[in-house]
Amino acid sequence: MTKRLFNQFICCLLFLSFNAASKEYLIILKDHLFYPSQIIIPTNQKVKLLIENQDSTPEEFDSFDLNREKVLYPNRKSIIYIGPLSKGRYDFFGEFSPNTARGVVIATDKGDQNVDN
Amino acid sequence: MLITSLVMSLNQLLPVAILLVLLQVLDKQYTRKVLLALIIGTVMSFLYMQSASWVSQWFDHQGLEYSQIGLCIIIFFAALVFAIKQKAVAFCIAIISAMTLYLSHYIIYLTSFWQNSEVGQSLFIGTFLGIGICLSFSILLYFLMTSIKYRFGVKPLLILLALNSAAKLLVALDLASQVDLIANTATVWDLRDLLTENSELGRVLRALIGYEATPNLLSVLTYSISSALFLFLCSFIPTSLTKERV
Repeated sequence: MTKRLFNQFICCLLFLSFNAASKEYLIILKDHLFYPSQIIIPTNQKVKLLIENQDSTPEEFDSFDLNREKVLYPNRKSIIYIGPLSKGRYDFFGEFSPNTARGVVIATDKGDQNVDN
Repeated sequence: MLITSLVMSLNQLLPVAILLVLLQVLDKQYTRKVLLALIIGTVMSFLYMQSASWVSQWFDHQGLEYSQIGLCIIIFFAALVFAIKQKAVAFCIAIISAMTLYLSHYIIYLTSFWQNSEVGQSLFIGTFLGIGICLSFSILLYFLMTSIKYRFGVKPLLILLALNSAAKLLVALDLASQVDLIANTATVWDLRDLLTENSELGRVLRALIGYEATPNLLSVLTYSISSALFLFLCSFIPTSLTKERV
């Protein structure tokens, strides 16, 4: 058990700055809504979320499930890497407009679809 | 908007207030120095907020994360130096860095919505309530930690400060993983059914000791090792100094 943990820790350190090409998903924030609000990604793969804030006010991308937090400045693009994730639903929201700006990342074995709700 | 403002106030002010209380109880600083640190911290937050939009575009849209990782590491080491040496400079650096890190988000939120007349009142009331709750919590924590210090010595306080400072490294790790600087590791446990991070207690524990419901292996290892190292280094404090402080 200890050896496995140690090996995993060493692997983490070796991965430092080795940026393998990740699949990219574009999310647009407009009128305090995320488009698409549902992103389906493959399990056990790191993916890149390119988020474009088209509103005139800033927003904060926040997700307790994904442990991610980033301010999205108006008319700017931001990049967030997520994963590798195990199968499941991972909610995210805009902290400045939590009632409207909501979305979910769904990690499935047959990922790679975006659904607009 | 009222609830959002209240939650935002608690999220961004509580970590700063807790750090300030822990450092003050550990070794009380003159009011003049505390005020100076708070004023410089506020100014730094405004400057950081002003440049954040520009910095965010550096290094392929990852500039903000790099600067925040730097601030988290500075807070950890400044708190450690303060715990060992009780230098006022370390106190000021820790507080100013924490304010720059957390308050800048809060200022961005306030300045973005303040001009909107429809939400102005809710924003004001929510912020006012948030500051009030944060202040009450800080005063209670201050007296609780002071009484613990006088009853049990400085060790419980150092343990809490070590956990609180190690939590800043967890924030740095999350930011590093967010910009693909380090790889994500497997989740060690999932406590979301027991206590979610966005619940009231979850938020307080997150600000106090860096509670995460779904931590990954690297986070658990970093948290354990850094807090143990913090306490180990603090154990080198001369006994006379420890007695003097109790």
